[in-house]
Amino acid sequence: MTIEWGWFPDHADEMTRLTADHLATAVPAVLLGLLIALPLAVLAHRVRPLRGFVLGASNILYTIPSLAFFVLLLPITGLTRTTAIVGLTAYTLVVLVRNTVEGLDAVPVKAREASKAMGTKPLRTLLTVELPLALPVIMAGVRVATVMSISLVSVASYIGYGGLGQLFTDGFQRNYPTPVIAGVILTLLLALVADALLVTVQWLCTPWRRGTSRQRTSKLWKRA
Amino acid sequence: MLELLKNLASWLTSPAQWSGPEGIATRVLEHLEYSVLATLAAAVIALPIGLLIGHTGRGAFLAVNLSSFGRALPTVGLVTLVFLAGGLSVWPVYVSLVALAVPVIITNTYAGMAAVDPEVKDAAKGVGLRGRQILWQVELPLALPLIMTGVRLATVQVVATATIAAYVSFGGLGRYVFDGLAQRDLVQVLGGAALVAVLAVAADLALGGLTRLLFRGRPAAAR
Amino acid sequence: MNRRTVLTALLAGASAPLLASCSSGITSLKGDGAGGDSGNSSGGLTIGTANFTENQILGYLYAGVLNAAGVKTTVKPNLGSREIVVPALRSGDIDLLPEYQGSLLLYLDKKATETEAGAMQNALATVVPDGLEVLPYAAAEDRDSFAVTQETADRYGLKTLADLRKVNGKLVFGAAAEMKKRVVGVVGLKDQYGVEFKEFKALDSSGPLVKGALKKGDIDVANVFTTDVDIVENGWVLLADPKNLIPAQHIVPLIASRKADSKVRKALARLGNTLTTPQLTELNRLVDKEKRDPDRVADAWLKKHKLG
Repeated sequence: MTIEWGWFPDHADEMTRLTADHLATAVPAVLLGLLIALPLAVLAHRVRPLRGFVLGASNILYTIPSLAFFVLLLPITGLTRTTAIVGLTAYTLVVLVRNTVEGLDAVPVKAREASKAMGTKPLRTLLTVELPLALPVIMAGVRVATVMSISLVSVASYIGYGGLGQLFTDGFQRNYPTPVIAGVILTLLLALVADALLVTVQWLCTPWRRGTSRQRTSKLWKRA
Repeated sequence: MLELLKNLASWLTSPAQWSGPEGIATRVLEHLEYSVLATLAAAVIALPIGLLIGHTGRGAFLAVNLSSFGRALPTVGLVTLVFLAGGLSVWPVYVSLVALAVPVIITNTYAGMAAVDPEVKDAAKGVGLRGRQILWQVELPLALPLIMTGVRLATVQVVATATIAAYVSFGGLGRYVFDGLAQRDLVQVLGGAALVAVLAVAADLALGGLTRLLFRGRPAAAR
Repeated sequence: MNRRTVLTALLAGASAPLLASCSSGITSLKGDGAGGDSGNSSGGLTIGTANFTENQILGYLYAGVLNAAGVKTTVKPNLGSREIVVPALRSGDIDLLPEYQGSLLLYLDKKATETEAGAMQNALATVVPDGLEVLPYAAAEDRDSFAVTQETADRYGLKTLADLRKVNGKLVFGAAAEMKKRVVGVVGLKDQYGVEFKEFKALDSSGPLVKGALKKGDIDVANVFTTDVDIVENGWVLLADPKNLIPAQHIVPLIASRKADSKVRKALARLGNTLTTPQLTELNRLVDKEKRDPDRVADAWLKKHKLG
């Protein structure tokens, strides 16, 4: 198996286009996942009986092969990017829901009580006290979900929306390893950069945790 | 939607669908073969590495970040690459499944080892245990619950991903998903997906049961 | 059936006898691009392609010739099998597909019996779903074929598909998964030739899996495309088809009527009249063997033939 290095500079345009394409699927999937996971997690956190159901359901979603998801969505969302996005969203839920619930669970009772004692309304407490305190754990989930989505986009190449994964199909059909290697490297790089970016965002969002945050996040990260 | 579910029910319950070389029974066994062998191979590779890193404390950074790398590695790309390198064989399937499972097991094994209270280790040293004895008699038993969590996580991922075998012409439940896609036979896809999910959940429960069995009689906190 | 479809049918019908009587330059007799003109391509077209390289080359050829005619295009390569892409065309996710007469006809009408190009064009015009249209077919053709290695052919004395019956239950047939349920596949081989295989192996469309498996001996009979250069390179034997199970497979554009204005029709007809089977085979070779990019190969060919 030889790699033709000349392929890389020669295909800069294609690689750029596919990378953009890749992100256009992965990023909305994570955002949509957050949009769904946050209320679900708050619900699971507040209403104990629902907890097992919500966590169990998102766990089961995770066991369904991603390709099957895309195919089953075809009659509903068609052969479009939406199908790829919705399919990936389902996968982000398992991490996002669990981490948000765990993050909310870990909010010190005292903080919640203090907020209540000051007469703050529950919704406001959630938004200004609980969620910010849960943010590190939630962000750890967002990081995992993002990396996972970026890697899984390539599965959508079976329906033509695989972003960099299109390079895998291309290489496969033509018995041509170079584009496949390019696709793998770019996917890994993209995941790495996205993860680093999220760490930075988190650092910027949680000024109160600077200094000690590294050790703690790495622990939470492991758990996720 | 209702129609689809009705068709799914008859697909799953038709005796003809279950027998023969393309029947569900065969496909489930094939799927289990890929999954079990891949997970075992991954455990054989990953457990010693995880234990070593946890015991010596060297390479902790690697252990912590490896699972992230594993998550980022696109399985489809890996399968394709191994296929192009080695031609038509079952190797691409095993290489990619093992690559999927190894990081998860290493990271969790390390996490389990790292979580062992240093005071317990000191106490073990205090009563005269040597390095290797501490590893086998103190650290490993205490780390085992987290190690098992890693193995469970890896197993679920491997079972869900073993569908990829069908992409490179092999069997398993992925056959239904890939063939159903090519034939636009949603019932077949749904059936395959449901069976994979059931298998993954069953494997998870079985390993969970095994873990509980292993730790029977231990204080709840150690489970 | 709307008026336009009738018109297309009539046009195609009128040209059929002429087509049948000529062997070369046939396509210049029809497809002057004068079909209906109620479509509008000013918003641009999305061209989809199925999951094999030749179809991508064709997609890029369509795109190039349309761009030259001033129509904006986007190519979506590798969307999947016909069973996936045709519904996507119907639902408007894509607007144009490079298709193959015979396979398309049998996909739309499982009971179709036409195998000759002109007759098939007529039949296609009547069965094509509302909102879609089949434009005049190209000179170039890429048939499905059933190949065995020279060794297998010698051992069992295989020359035609009918000979396969002698070894019923012994051979393994490899093809794309959809071939299991297609007439030009497991179904037709059984119905028309009484052939039964020991096993059907779901692989790919004349791609690395099917060809790799045939080379390795994992399968005995493979479904490959006649424009595939690997056939000659490996000295594979294509089994003859005395009962005409395999229909003519000229390349036809399948298009959403709402996009098919005269600009589009003329451009695609020009391409269809120029592209020949040997040229298509050569384009395949450049992409599959020389590893050139399908879009670049297509552009270079169009430039050379003053179409792009």
